[in-house]
Amino acid sequence: MKTPVFAFTLSMIMCLCARAELKWEQTTIELHPAPNDKQAVGHFKYQNTGKTPVRFKSVHASCGCTTAQTQKEEVPPGDKGEITATFNIGDRTGTQVKTVTVETDEAANQKTVLTLKAEIPQQLEITPNFVFWKQGDKPDSKTINVKVGKDFNVKHIKATSSSPDFQAKVGEAGNGQFKIDVKPQDTNKVVASMLTIQAEDSTKVFYATARITNAQTAPVPPIAPAGLKPPVAPAGATAPARPTAPTGQTH
Amino acid sequence: MKFLLARQAAVVAALALLPAAGEAIYFRDKISWRSSIAPSEIVTVEEARGWGDTAIWVDARPDDEFASDHVPGAISLNEDRWNELLPQFLAVWTPGKKIIVYCSSLSCNASREVAHRLRKEAQLSDVFVLEGGWEAWLKKNR
Repeated sequence: MKTPVFAFTLSMIMCLCARAELKWEQTTIELHPAPNDKQAVGHFKYQNTGKTPVRFKSVHASCGCTTAQTQKEEVPPGDKGEITATFNIGDRTGTQVKTVTVETDEAANQKTVLTLKAEIPQQLEITPNFVFWKQGDKPDSKTINVKVGKDFNVKHIKATSSSPDFQAKVGEAGNGQFKIDVKPQDTNKVVASMLTIQAEDSTKVFYATARITNAQTAPVPPIAPAGLKPPVAPAGATAPARPTAPTGQTH
Repeated sequence: MKFLLARQAAVVAALALLPAAGEAIYFRDKISWRSSIAPSEIVTVEEARGWGDTAIWVDARPDDEFASDHVPGAISLNEDRWNELLPQFLAVWTPGKKIIVYCSSLSCNASREVAHRLRKEAQLSDVFVLEGGWEAWLKKNR
């Protein structure tokens, strides 16, 4: 009765042994970049445990934000090396999973998928980061919720509007959360403002946009606060950028 | 006899399920490159073209690919420079407009991610991902 199970197990082991020329130390790497890191780099180490050289045919990353480099094109028997995967974080947030597909000339197991998992810490989670009113709407305040990331200790935040057309008022919402009430002076004209949100004693800046909009009129470019390049006026937009006059409150 | 065979089959199946369960637990938060998208949030090139001026095209590809070529009138919005590009996009968005996000086969997950962030962070509705991306648009338009 045990013969079929034994034969199956043996065949599985033989298959595994036959294809295990390029042996990877690990095919998944989890990284925890610091809040201001620009890149997350993973080193996928391998060794040629076979008796013949292994040649890399191709190394492809799953997206343009990730690059992968091999140290050598051919790996002699017994040799070790690594593939370096560099993930450019940009303005990405949360859990990011990027893959690198490695193709070799091995008889078996020609394709190996290397996985880079990066947990990008987010000091403040801002929802929504866009509030708007239609022209002529009642100028009631709208609320932006700010949640502090689990690994951060933020006691106070400040919010500043780049335009005097909007007021931003910060309040505590409990459980490490804040709320920002945004109120337009009026909704008669099409205007926009960039809200700069910052935790006290932190250099990291977050943004939200407030806007009075009208589907029938040309859009207005928002105002860029210091530190951000001024947005390019979109095609068709004729309204000039308004002068910056920050107004706001610190909690 | 049959019972023993069934038991052995069950044992083998259970062993095969172990790594799958491990992967599911490890990637429980999110698997961006496998993230599913509802059919109602996907639009074909033909449907999107039919929307005409009632839609805004959003290019989720990296800057260099956008600079090289893009759908006429498209706005660049990628995650490399999200904080800088989002206000530019919001400046041209108007209520009621549909948003069509596309990327290329090389950065094919980018459109899904950008669409997801527009829905979640900016809380915009009517956000669609272009089926087949930039290559599909090229095929139908050039």
